[in-house]
Amino acid sequence: MQEKTVIRFSDVSKVYYLYKSSKQRLMGTLFHHAKCKTNRAVDHLSFEIHQGEAVAFLGRNGAGKSTILKMVTEVAFPTEGEIYVDGRVGALLELAAGFDPEFTGRENIYLKGHILGLHDKEIAALEEDIVAFAELGDYIDQPVRTYSSGMKARLGFSINVNIRPDILIVDEALSVGDEEFKRKCVSRINQLLTNEHMTLMFVTHAVGVAREFCSRGIVMNKGRAIFDGPIDEAIARYDQLIGKK
Amino acid sequence: MIRAMKEIVTDHIHNITQIFKLAKADLIKTYRGAALGWWWAVIKPCMTLFTYWFAFSYGFRSGKPVEGVPFFLWMAVGITPWFYMSEMLSQGTESIRKYKYMVTKMKFPVSIIPTFVSVSKMMVNLVLFLIVMILFWCWGFAPSIYYLQIPFYVLMSFLFFTLWAQFASLMAAISQDFANLVKSFITPIFWLSGILWRTDNFTGSVWIRRFLNLNPVTFLTSGFRDALIFNKWFWETPKKCLYFACWLVVLWVLSLWAYKRLRKDIPDVL
Repeated sequence: MQEKTVIRFSDVSKVYYLYKSSKQRLMGTLFHHAKCKTNRAVDHLSFEIHQGEAVAFLGRNGAGKSTILKMVTEVAFPTEGEIYVDGRVGALLELAAGFDPEFTGRENIYLKGHILGLHDKEIAALEEDIVAFAELGDYIDQPVRTYSSGMKARLGFSINVNIRPDILIVDEALSVGDEEFKRKCVSRINQLLTNEHMTLMFVTHAVGVAREFCSRGIVMNKGRAIFDGPIDEAIARYDQLIGKK
Repeated sequence: MIRAMKEIVTDHIHNITQIFKLAKADLIKTYRGAALGWWWAVIKPCMTLFTYWFAFSYGFRSGKPVEGVPFFLWMAVGITPWFYMSEMLSQGTESIRKYKYMVTKMKFPVSIIPTFVSVSKMMVNLVLFLIVMILFWCWGFAPSIYYLQIPFYVLMSFLFFTLWAQFASLMAAISQDFANLVKSFITPIFWLSGILWRTDNFTGSVWIRRFLNLNPVTFLTSGFRDALIFNKWFWETPKKCLYFACWLVVLWVLSLWAYKRLRKDIPDVL
């Protein structure tokens, strides 16, 4: 049975403008008059992801993987082409999934919930699960600025999997947790994938983790998808790309 | 332009409860972490007020009663709304920069950031203004029917400075120079707006006096004084109201333009 398409990229490009100075950037963004270098982070990319799929994006640094995830999350906008996204997106971009450093972990749960449009009651219902899953102990009532990067990732991950997103986006977040927490996350993601029919987009350099729950892999190089297919073949292609024998 | 307006308006309608929740969070954040906490919201303005009062009454020897109202009260009415305005000029302008993580780390309607910051600053200011009104009563000036227009002026300054922040916070996110430019103008605006002296009494060139009177901050502060002290209705000076309305339209267009131009570039720049 063919599932419905939840993410569609149609000929998407993303160009970053690299200005020499902030003055030129001001002129450039306001009046499009300044000269600058450009970096095509994503280059005429098209793909579709169906509901329930778990897709790993592999590639070297600067291949455009994170830019793709940012565009799906709508914190970056394509320069050309169109993106279609259907459903609530839970995103863990670059570890600290948008916490306010001055607030405690618990307050950040509420803040995040409010931003996502949940009511106090709904958040209160989820709060216990989130706190329990994150395993932060007494730190849950300490300001987030005192957290280590691992702790931030745990809280961010815990919030994002517990708000029941339709699409979960994970960017490298699993690489900082310890083995036990990583296992817990993997099993939780697997559970969401099979039971809730969630869609997963995953960026990592640890191919082992990708293999554990992704069935499909897209290998990126210089903004283009050079391979799109079964995960094992994708990993082989990626290993070839980075020159691993 | 129209699409930008539609987007901003729908974002505000859909997130109206979030705006108040985030404003509350912003308030908590501002005043927490100090032993005196909330008191700082009152202590800081009081210090400013007393300093100016002292300098004017004893330094310049010019603190005469205005229309029978003690100079201290006259000054308090003008300076209290200014606390909100100056906060908006500085922190309203920096709001998107301050809440960077909402822009770069998650999907979030950027246009509501300046609005909830404005709501948060306004909340503090309303409490301060209430204190001023209580002071008036304690001094023996009972509330009059003219007090009814206070909500009008509160709404006007809220509108003006929220629109301002809509425009300026986007500009400041793109360029730190813009933020610095605005900051360097705060003190001149304060002294040229008839907050501490009556621009009507300006004896130099007529043109300079007109210029001073056409400053939107002058319109707002003298409005609050009209309500509490001079017993004047705002419709008695329709020209000034019309002029202020023009300011609102200009800011509104500027904010739409900035949104349309910059919204999609902001996350890449921050």
